[in-house]
Amino acid sequence: MSRAEAPAVDLGVEIAGLHLPTPLIAASGTFGYGDEYAGVADYGAIGAISAKGLYLNPRDGCPPPRIWETPSGMLNAIGLQEVGIERFLAEKLPSVRALGKVLIANICGSSFEEYGELARRLDDAEGVHGIEVNISCPNVSAGGIEFGCDPDMAARATEVVRRGTRLPVIPKLSPSASDIGGMARRVEDAGADAVSLINTIPAMAVDVETRRPRLANTIGGLSGPAVRPVAVRMVWQAARATRLPVIGMGGIAGAEDAIEFLLAGASAVQIGTMNFVDPGVWRRTRSDLEDYCRRHGVARVRDLTGAMEPFPPAPEVRR
Amino acid sequence: MSRPAAPPRRDLRARLVRRVELSADAQLLRFESASPSPALPGQFAMLRLEGGGLLRRPYSYCDLDDSGDPFRFSLLIKEVGVGTRALMRLRDGGTVSCLGPLGTWFEPPSAEETAVVVAGGVGIAPFVLFCRRLAEAGRSGIVLLGGRRRPDLYLREEFERFGMEVRCATEDGSFGQRGYVTELLPEALADATAPRVYSCGPTGMLLRTAELARRAGAPHQVSIERRMGCGMGCCLGCVVWAGRRPGDPPEYLRSCTEGPVFDADAIAWDRDPHPL
Ligand SMILES: Cc1cc2nc3c(=O)[nH]c(=O)nc-3n(C[C@H](O)[C@H](O)[C@H](O)COP(=O)(O)OP(=O)(O)OC[C@H]3O[C@@H](n4cnc5c(N)ncnc54)[C@H](O)[C@@H]3O)c2cc1C
Ligand SMILES: Cc1cc2nc3c(=O)[nH]c(=O)nc-3n(C[C@H](O)[C@H](O)[C@H](O)COP(=O)(O)O)c2cc1C
Ligand code: FES
Repeated sequence: MSRAEAPAVDLGVEIAGLHLPTPLIAASGTFGYGDEYAGVADYGAIGAISAKGLYLNPRDGCPPPRIWETPSGMLNAIGLQEVGIERFLAEKLPSVRALGKVLIANICGSSFEEYGELARRLDDAEGVHGIEVNISCPNVSAGGIEFGCDPDMAARATEVVRRGTRLPVIPKLSPSASDIGGMARRVEDAGADAVSLINTIPAMAVDVETRRPRLANTIGGLSGPAVRPVAVRMVWQAARATRLPVIGMGGIAGAEDAIEFLLAGASAVQIGTMNFVDPGVWRRTRSDLEDYCRRHGVARVRDLTGAMEPFPPAPEVRR
Repeated sequence: MSRPAAPPRRDLRARLVRRVELSADAQLLRFESASPSPALPGQFAMLRLEGGGLLRRPYSYCDLDDSGDPFRFSLLIKEVGVGTRALMRLRDGGTVSCLGPLGTWFEPPSAEETAVVVAGGVGIAPFVLFCRRLAEAGRSGIVLLGGRRRPDLYLREEFERFGMEVRCATEDGSFGQRGYVTELLPEALADATAPRVYSCGPTGMLLRTAELARRAGAPHQVSIERRMGCGMGCCLGCVVWAGRRPGDPPEYLRSCTEGPVFDADAIAWDRDPHPL
């Protein structure tokens, strides 16, 4: 069958009441505030943009070096350098809004109050369509332990955001959680509309010549293809544990990787690190995703969600 | 020379058409691509190639010929790790993916000013294009080149061909004055009328150049090298502690977007840890 007469594939997905024209979302912290890749990436292939993490107040971030390449991945310790909610709303949002994309704000708090305040400030911001709650941030009053490590803290952060906004609330789960399925259930009960995962995996590297850590912050977050099998496993576990739609990510570099996440239970996927490597990833992934659906007789990409087949039982083996 | 606008960025496939060995660990690589990427002197490209690591690597446009089709550009590469090694071993006709042009550029000297270039090692790269443009505008300038040994004074003849006054220093004394290239700077500043300084090279050299230029009251633009993740302003991996303009309070600015070319006075050298 030639391309022209090939049946159209419906790439649209619904997540937490949002309609995305494609299941491909730009991952927070890897796509700036949204318009940085204009002219380079194919925005038509992008279903939504998760903007760079927002704190209430401007932050300097960590001193450099902040990134280091690892086998099939990278470490980063940026420390959420950003402009703060005030300047985001005044200076960044107007140009991002002009892109006409579904925009998901990604928020980070150092206390429950900050999460609540951010949610209230974003609630009526024109052009913000959803809130992704980054819970991989240290809770200052709890001695710096990550909200995302502790189900009680994660649930409470979700709850305060839920109370502050009518927008869809999407907690972004940390791979540091010991029971990811249980974590997903807790944030579901706390009012989440969807979950996204995984955030980067805490990791480090050492320069053996200087005997110093590769990053000024010593510890950084690992992302890229190196984390993908871990992420697929966690997405599968989270999807089985809740009824919430799951947004999967971790090292996606093309359609095959994206489909892996969809089959494991994701309703949409995010692409982060591999956009740095190849901004052409959007166009390529969309078109390969369509080809895959055609080859497999899948009319709607959403039919792939959770469509992984169980491994056939082993035949009886006589010992 | 009027102030140009930022040229559009593209991700192009480029083909290696020529390789010149400059020293044991440096090469000049010439590439061709079907569509142009009209870079300004000081701008860079992010390159990706098979076997060259996951992330793209930043390289300055060393020279380019945008007069015809195909578009040609060259890069001066020094081997330091997996990405540079893969580039230097790329076979003839092999291709790379080249995202550019990116970043800020050197502002040309005004009609009254004289360009004084201070370049060390692979920091020589952006100044070939810079001096080509100077020569095209009928201008000259002083170019100070530094390296460890004679073979490290890459492309010296090229600068002479552009009519620049070239002065050299090597650490082992094998060519030009023995010592650091910055030791040539006070005299060059004295010789030039209304000197305007441009520098790129190792951090120690940049620091010393900044100090001497400041003392002489000469404006100074510097190109900074940082590890880069994206080159597009999105990963915030490449930051420099600097003010947006001289006098502004310093903050972490992205060397891929607000740089790599900065006004030297805007950089808080004392607090910037300048590690790679
Ligand atoms: C704006 C800009 C322009 C540049 N122009 C040139 C050029 O024209 N020619 C050239 O040969 N090199 C240039 N560099 C440096 C070049 O990017 C690095 O040498 C290269 O990224 C190293 O990659 P690698 O895989 O070979 O080394 P890696 O294996 O990644 O690292 C080897 C060593 O190189 C250091 N390094 C890593 N990234 C950089 C970096 N961005 N800059 C400097 N050192 C780094 C590492 O800390 C390490 O010590 C430029 C860098 C920047 C930021
Ligand atoms: C440089 C960098 C910055 C990031 N910043 C954020 C952030 O601000 N907020 C957030 O929730 N996740 C952030 N992330 C995590 C990504 O959104 C994503 O969860 C992770 O990188 C895994 O996906 P990937 O392998 O496709 O990159 C960042 C990742 C990178 C590499
Ligand atoms: S290299 Fe990513 S922001 Fe500069």
